[in-house]
Amino acid sequence: MRVRRGKVRISLLIVIAAIGVGVLCSSNLERLQLAAEPGTGAPQLVSIQQLPSDGEMCAWPSTAPADPVLMASLEQDPARNLFAAMRQQGRGGGAYTPDPSTIEVGRQPARMIRDEYPTYSYVAVDTKFDEVVLQDNNLWAIRVFKRTANTPPGAPVTQPERVIQGLKTEVQFNNGIYIDPDDGEIHSVESDTGDKVVVFTHDALGNVEPERVLKTPHRGYALAVDEGKKDLFVSVQYPPRVMVYRKGASGNEAPLRVIEGEKTGLSDVHGIAIDVNRKLIFVANWGAISNYLVAGTGRFELPSITVYPLDANGDVKPLRVIQGEKTQLNWPHAISLDPGTGDLYVANDIGNSILVFHETDQGDKAPARVIKGAKTGLSNPTGVFVDTKNKEVWAANFGNSTATCYPINANGDLGPLRTIRSAPAGYQGLKFGKVEAVAYDSKRDQLLVPN
Amino acid sequence: MHGLAYDEVHDEIVIPSPLAQAVLVFRGAAEGEEPPLRVIQGPHTGIVGTGYGALDTVSVDGENNEIYLPVASDRVLVFDRMANGDVAPKRILGGPDTQIRYPVPADQGPLPPVAIDALHNLLVVKSTWPRGTTPSYLIFDRTASGNTKPLRVIHGPKAAIGGGNQIQVYPPKGWIIGGATGPGPSIGIWSINDDGDVAPRWRIPVNKLTGLNVNGVGIDPIHKEVMVPTGNGNVVMTFFFPEIFQ
Repeated sequence: MRVRRGKVRISLLIVIAAIGVGVLCSSNLERLQLAAEPGTGAPQLVSIQQLPSDGEMCAWPSTAPADPVLMASLEQDPARNLFAAMRQQGRGGGAYTPDPSTIEVGRQPARMIRDEYPTYSYVAVDTKFDEVVLQDNNLWAIRVFKRTANTPPGAPVTQPERVIQGLKTEVQFNNGIYIDPDDGEIHSVESDTGDKVVVFTHDALGNVEPERVLKTPHRGYALAVDEGKKDLFVSVQYPPRVMVYRKGASGNEAPLRVIEGEKTGLSDVHGIAIDVNRKLIFVANWGAISNYLVAGTGRFELPSITVYPLDANGDVKPLRVIQGEKTQLNWPHAISLDPGTGDLYVANDIGNSILVFHETDQGDKAPARVIKGAKTGLSNPTGVFVDTKNKEVWAANFGNSTATCYPINANGDLGPLRTIRSAPAGYQGLKFGKVEAVAYDSKRDQLLVPN
Repeated sequence: MHGLAYDEVHDEIVIPSPLAQAVLVFRGAAEGEEPPLRVIQGPHTGIVGTGYGALDTVSVDGENNEIYLPVASDRVLVFDRMANGDVAPKRILGGPDTQIRYPVPADQGPLPPVAIDALHNLLVVKSTWPRGTTPSYLIFDRTASGNTKPLRVIHGPKAAIGGGNQIQVYPPKGWIIGGATGPGPSIGIWSINDDGDVAPRWRIPVNKLTGLNVNGVGIDPIHKEVMVPTGNGNVVMTFFFPEIFQ
């Protein structure tokens, strides 16, 4: 359902789970029809997942990824992540003094709502080694598959060739990814609590330390690299900006330049792509904007793609903006450019679509092509990658633990060429994203969880 | 978006929109791309978050028709529940005598939560006062405004108040439910009548039991349960905890 409030449409992202049941039964999840129209930049309700109401019980399997050792370890260094900082905040300066009057309640949780399968937030293709690299934002892993892998309908899942995962990797809430075309180095931006870019060798496996770590601002989201100049571009959601570093930067190295300011039109920044031939930067914006230093400056704008010169610096106006009702933009995440054709692919999360614009488009322009429909297998796509070598387009589907691959000229409702599936067929994930609050809806006997 | 509150009196969901400095109110049955019933946003609202944590928490008092929003600069804004548009808060609680201190400088870190006990006419504000110590629970008269001293302060090593983006009260029994320290992140239960360095009545040692953190807390009095969300691992845990509801 599309909604309007003046020029602003606002909705909400929330997962609702009925709680009379015991535990969440994946087989009983239902995915409701979602809107396919352009968004607002505001929070939106992505899904409602209804649990059985008949008291049926089914086990929500415990998972290795919620490894207590890993999680506890992640909380130990407040300088390195928010969990640790919050825990440290809880500890404060005083030592804990057990009090005999306190009753310890040692009961295990009666239920745990948790997604045990990967949630794929981003995808990239390593054309040199013929591999697909997927960011698992739920279980904090980087999973590498053969590019030609395809999960048959009857198969449980496709196993990756390699997995990078564990405390040493520093991978957490990983989103954007970039693969070095020469040596296959994997660059991963750790969002939210991560606040860094970690770089692994092509053949990194298991719980390994990154080759290098670059400290980046909170809420880093996506990456792009100018291989000619060896510049690394990092998009930052909020405060909205684009940081440009040396590609080989590490530690606390300062950026070479920063695109930031009111004139830029940046708002709730997500995906980024560059065209080194035409010397352009493309940025996907959701539209929620404010100056965090000034009270009452917040506003909602329509989502957009803003375009800047490749060497932009500071508070610069975009060269052009793709924005408006016809664009169908609705929480645009990753963007990927085909430099040969100038086609700009957008992972359009809430639209459940891949939108294809031309890089010269501006204003309220409808996409030239739209990959969308029941046959596509798209489910809240947040990652997109155009593989010009193999003439394919990949989508990472946040909603159902899959990556789907299409012909480069795909349009409309078509089935994927191949699907890499990491959960049972038909599975719909919880789409949890760093859950930090919960409320009980007594009218409906449901839990409300913001993401 | 890391916060929300449910108003069971009016069947509404209240959400802070951190990057747009707004509070959104939806009907309880909202689904899909449904518009909010009301939006509080604009220069008169005084809404401002932090660069790091933005606006991560909100509370609602359905009985008295008010919405509470902790904001940067150690303040709590109180809006009329029906406020809509660019509306000034009806009260602002903040100032040196309040002892409301958020744990980090104004452009960093998350903003601590509040809870309202409409039955006893109290407001509980989590604070970090003095800075650098364990958090405190500041207990005010519900209608406190300006630079008002708290009625009582729960604070100290025995109190062992911990982190998290939510706190709850259960008015029929006068409990405060929130994060606690101890053997790792835990849930603790204090009384609204506690004052000083008072140990929690109960503690669920969440980290010890599950290896997971405590990022918030919700209560379900009907099923006598306490829910604990944790971002690390993307998990919502539910503990059966009849002791505090009976």
